[in-house]
Amino acid sequence: MNRARVARVAWIVLAAAAVALPLSTANTYYLYLACSVGLLTVVTAGLNVLAGLTGQISLGHAGFYALGAYGAAVGATRLGWPLWLAAMTGIVLAAGVGALVAAAALRVSGPYLAMVTIAFGIIVESVLVEWVSVTGGPGGIFRIPKVPLGRYYWAIAVSAAAALWLTANLRRSAWGRAFLAVKASEVAAESLGLSAYHVRIVAFTVSAAFTGVAGALFAFLNGYISPDSFTLQTSILFLLALLFGGMGSVAGPVVGSAALTLLPELLTALSDYRLILYGSLLLVSMYWLPSGLVGALARGPARARPTGSPTREEPWRFSASIWEHGAPDPLLSATGVGLSFGGVVAVADVSLAIQPRRIHAIIGPNGAGKTSLLNVLTGYYAPDTGGITLGGLSIVGLPPYRIARLGVARTFQTTQLFGDLTVRENVAVGLAGGHLGSICAALLGTPRARRVEAARMRDADSLLVAMGFIELADRPANSLPGGIRRRVEIARALAGRPEILMLDEPAAGLSPVEIEALDAELSALRDGGGPAIILVEHHMDLVMAVSDTISVLDYGRVIASGSPESVRENPQVVEAYLGAGT
Amino acid sequence: MYLQLVVSGLALGSMYGLVALGYHITWATSRTMNFSQGHAVMAGAVIAYATVVGLGWPFPLALAVTLGAAAGFGVLIERVAVRPFFRATSPAWLLSTIACGIIAENVAMLAFGKDARAFPSPFTRTPILVGGAGFYPQELLVPLVGLGLMALVHAFYHRTPYGKQLKAVAFDPEAAGLMGIHIPRAVMTAYALSALLAGIAGVLLAPLLNVAPTMGTIIGLKAFAVAIIGGLDSAPGIVIAGFGYGLIESFVAGYVSTGAREIVGFALVIAVLVVRPWGLLGDKPARRV
Repeated sequence: MNRARVARVAWIVLAAAAVALPLSTANTYYLYLACSVGLLTVVTAGLNVLAGLTGQISLGHAGFYALGAYGAAVGATRLGWPLWLAAMTGIVLAAGVGALVAAAALRVSGPYLAMVTIAFGIIVESVLVEWVSVTGGPGGIFRIPKVPLGRYYWAIAVSAAAALWLTANLRRSAWGRAFLAVKASEVAAESLGLSAYHVRIVAFTVSAAFTGVAGALFAFLNGYISPDSFTLQTSILFLLALLFGGMGSVAGPVVGSAALTLLPELLTALSDYRLILYGSLLLVSMYWLPSGLVGALARGPARARPTGSPTREEPWRFSASIWEHGAPDPLLSATGVGLSFGGVVAVADVSLAIQPRRIHAIIGPNGAGKTSLLNVLTGYYAPDTGGITLGGLSIVGLPPYRIARLGVARTFQTTQLFGDLTVRENVAVGLAGGHLGSICAALLGTPRARRVEAARMRDADSLLVAMGFIELADRPANSLPGGIRRRVEIARALAGRPEILMLDEPAAGLSPVEIEALDAELSALRDGGGPAIILVEHHMDLVMAVSDTISVLDYGRVIASGSPESVRENPQVVEAYLGAGT
Repeated sequence: MYLQLVVSGLALGSMYGLVALGYHITWATSRTMNFSQGHAVMAGAVIAYATVVGLGWPFPLALAVTLGAAAGFGVLIERVAVRPFFRATSPAWLLSTIACGIIAENVAMLAFGKDARAFPSPFTRTPILVGGAGFYPQELLVPLVGLGLMALVHAFYHRTPYGKQLKAVAFDPEAAGLMGIHIPRAVMTAYALSALLAGIAGVLLAPLLNVAPTMGTIIGLKAFAVAIIGGLDSAPGIVIAGFGYGLIESFVAGYVSTGAREIVGFALVIAVLVVRPWGLLGDKPARRV
């Protein structure tokens, strides 16, 4: 039996068990436990979007759980609203505050992000204790209207199933790929037109909304809530359940939630050792279960489902000029660009004019400032002096993703593929760029979103056919050898049909055969009406063979510029490369 | 009232600063930190209580044992929770050090009991009365010892050869390694030193707060807030932020309420990060492409 079939059988068994439970028993203890598993599943499914897909850790999700619960409880008790309206209030409150917290929190990362989420959680907890008139203070809120457990069970079961279904849809959408792309390489994601900040805010808000749903359900399940249920420990428990079950996989949340809910119940005799149990579980999952229980049970890398078959009816066209009356000439021009780090001058007074449909090589000794120059042109560094215009418009000060959206694509000296994505998905990230569609459509997997997605996958396949490695389409990018990685990165950069493509040492690490292929590819691109190319390269045979213009950089300055022949004869260039006195 | 609040604010603030320096020390050497710093504070207080009150040991002996145990806790954390995840891309050490902290809390609970206990100190018997204000000698002692220790840490890093080596590791681990500095040992030392400072803070705070296994979490979080506000890379920023945080907390608690104290304090952290994402005196790290 292959893994996909095992997974399907496991899901069917799980669904059957969920349906059979309330039909076979009316024992409220069992039903309550099952409901708790369901609620934790909703929370961890949401957290999975944040931690599993975008790689951000939140230690404050108990705060969103509290907002959902108190919003619903206050609505249903003090305001006397119908339950559905009260629940909606809690959910909207959690999602809204989630977006606000995200906007503040996601400007920072690592320990700083952990701090903001912890601080948020503690603020919520303290407000619950202090704002007695609304929250009931330390005593909490009593007599929240309850639905009979036998019926309420179904509401929670459906919510948990929906949470898993929505996150599964999300993973297969352009948003899901964007999340994973930002997690794998923020720098590369921005070079394709994705704003990492915006993408992370959306992920954070989605996870806050899910947690709010669980909170609202929790209020009506218990009939009583107090601040004790919403502490830092609760936030840690959420993360633990996700880690233990399996971060990043669809089934991880449900497995982890079941384990973390049932284990303490089975070990009630050891209740004094509960924290030791949690701490050890956390360490155990980090040491030995990097992909959780689910990952340990289903060994081997997840095989991506083939998302389409090669279509040859529509060959990939490299040109799709946004300029109606021919591209402006020069397309990109830099004048007097300078950049220094502290006292070290990386780029000094560099002027360049990039013409459409030409290959412009930038060469120079190591440390001459070539990559720094690319980073300035693509917005990763702001120049200290000088101006850069693209099609006549200044792009100085624009963030990388904005410059990318204007038609500037690039590759990196050390390839930055999105390792968890397949080759096809890597290219699809480039195809979508900043156009991710609506997040709700992605969650729901609407027919329209699916159609757009199918068309995008067909496009990706035509590009892969044109580049000559369609057979690798379903391979995860981190399983590829170096030479192919470089070419996939070029394909990904080309996917957005850029006006300018900047290649940073594309021949580094390639075999002579691969370099010949690259030579042919670059020439074909130029002759086929593709983008203008800026080529930073050390491999002189390649540079001399394909370039229309060469600029030579030394100590950050352009010391020569012109045709390959004129540059080759230039005495200053010879001196820079071979040293003085030769 | 006013003077009283200033004194207790400075006392607490100096301890937040001291514990926060512990975050800074390991962050600078290894870009990791012990999220269970607060539990090292708790360990210091609990072990001091157990040896002085429980076993009736003379104070110097108890102090030596307590501080040794605190430094050992730091070494253990580094070995168990940090080193295996040193090169992990995601902050796995964040979760693993939290795991060690909650285990430590549970162990303390089993050994010490859940109840909070008062730690007797000769400096908390009779309050000093100045005008209408009253405060304990301990509250004057604490910030003085705190400042002295901060000066010692500064001197260690700037005056002693080994301190300079640790600084070199902080500046450029690769180059430091090539110069023959044993990086893993440097990181371990940083963790021991960091937990040692937290342990001292625990001993100093024990007479002012109640000793309980649960006391660590909130102190650790406030110290973390102080480290973030000051800037993880900036020791002076952290010391200043420590006193500032202590004073603000003390005044909010005095004039508004103890509950508002937490809300204001942690809202302040978020506000600072929105305006200065790398802390008040921290440097924005260069973007690597």
